[in-house]
Amino acid sequence: MIKIDSLSVRYDEIEVLSNLSLTLEDVKFHAIMGPNGGGKTTFIKALVGLLPYEGKIEIDGIEHKQYLKRNSIGYLAQRGSQFSSFPITAIEVVEMGRYRFKESKKLRKQKAFEFLKVLEMEKFSDKSIEELSGGQQQRVLMARSLATESKILVLDEPLTGMDSKAQSLFYDMIKRIKDEFKLTIIMSSHDVGFISEYADNIVCINRELVPHDKSAKVLSCTEMSQLYGPKIGMVEHHHLHSEKDDV
Amino acid sequence: MFDFFGLFFIQRALIIGSIIAVVGGLIGPFVFYRKMAFMGVGIAHGTFAGIALGILIGVSPLPVAIIFAIGLGIFIGFISKTGKISEDVSIGILFSFAMGLGIFLISISPGYHTDIMGYLFGDILAISNYDMYLAIIVLILVFLWYMIRSRQMKYMTFDEDFAKISGVPVGIDYYIFMALISLMIVIIVNFVGVILASSIIIAPAAASKLIVKKFSAMVILSMVFGEIAIFSGITFSYDLNISSGPSIVFFITFAFILSLIFNKIRRAFNKKRLYDLKNNTWQKNV
Repeated sequence: MIKIDSLSVRYDEIEVLSNLSLTLEDVKFHAIMGPNGGGKTTFIKALVGLLPYEGKIEIDGIEHKQYLKRNSIGYLAQRGSQFSSFPITAIEVVEMGRYRFKESKKLRKQKAFEFLKVLEMEKFSDKSIEELSGGQQQRVLMARSLATESKILVLDEPLTGMDSKAQSLFYDMIKRIKDEFKLTIIMSSHDVGFISEYADNIVCINRELVPHDKSAKVLSCTEMSQLYGPKIGMVEHHHLHSEKDDV
Repeated sequence: MFDFFGLFFIQRALIIGSIIAVVGGLIGPFVFYRKMAFMGVGIAHGTFAGIALGILIGVSPLPVAIIFAIGLGIFIGFISKTGKISEDVSIGILFSFAMGLGIFLISISPGYHTDIMGYLFGDILAISNYDMYLAIIVLILVFLWYMIRSRQMKYMTFDEDFAKISGVPVGIDYYIFMALISLMIVIIVNFVGVILASSIIIAPAAASKLIVKKFSAMVILSMVFGEIAIFSGITFSYDLNISSGPSIVFFITFAFILSLIFNKIRRAFNKKRLYDLKNNTWQKNV
């Protein structure tokens, strides 16, 4: 369980996140929703230990910094800012997730290959990451996060640039690995369409926590816009199910 | 033609040159992918200020240059990490300052001074045994670093955020890398001078990137390019009685241009092959 108490993050003098308190339960899919510039990425970066913050975070009863010293958190950064052009193969990327494990090179490679298999990417193991398509790269990076054996997987707007079919496949994959590895998924998005169908809990952020009493399944785009105020437009993608429904 | 290889100072220069090529091959590709070429320029100019200070206070310039280079390397690294001012701006200011400081210190030094041109553009006659010992120490340090830390360095260069989350001590590794670049530059300075030093670090890596795809191949090819350029550069400079620096840089740049041409031809060839393949498939289908 992740307990967040009075979390605030500042860039220079500007407070980007203010006094956020919430609890994220284990083995659930938590969607972090909010408009662009509302602090979703800041929240996620603070959670994985990439940004300093004020307040308190506890994971499984352990203070955040202490927890991060011994454990990794699975993390998928926003598309386009994920990695440099450094020449590295898919299997080497997944091996990164094994850094904390004291294991032989052979075992490291073997484990990395197993995680590539989970994401059905084993046949690309020796391909350079740059030669893979955007969707394939996402899968390799996901395999890397799984390779950390973390029980928490944090995803920062992973759907940017994906069409609705790719989004649907992505959500199915998330659901499958969540159930298979008993993961707590925390995923940011400004896309109301799919996420309310898959998420167990929706956390609304707009520089601060925007409280609501709706279940994730019934939160619509209109209600979401009402939560954030009339001036903030949310993106609503037409996904496969609704397309079918429309037909 | 190669009689001059019997000369002791040439042999010494070739030994250091070979070491520089190997060290450059291990460090250069990381500098390339981390987009730190301009940082090399900054550190090289800082080295000049160190040499000048050594001359002014009447001690061997080498240890002062090492302290200055490492200090400046870590300082530039600190600025770029904490980044209130952009890295380019801070290096741009610092390297002009270091150059100006160096010239000023040499101007106010009493007595006769070694030729400044030698420090600016390299002079293999000025290479001493101490330089050779230092080059051997740097080679050992860089080699050990590569054996122990190259995996972490690859992770950091590919994705620094995830490397940090995975437990790689990215801050420590970064500053160690900056210190090693600085040490490498100190041994390069006598060879090609402060103004041309950065090309020895970056050009072989850039040239090899145009030919090979794998990182390990890039490291080896960078070394080969460096060795050929340094060997040819020394031979050429001796024959024409010119400064070694421009001559070596000329050959390294030539290698880069050849790689560029090779890359263009290969791409055009691949494009044509792909076109022919598509065309054949289409004709078969028709």
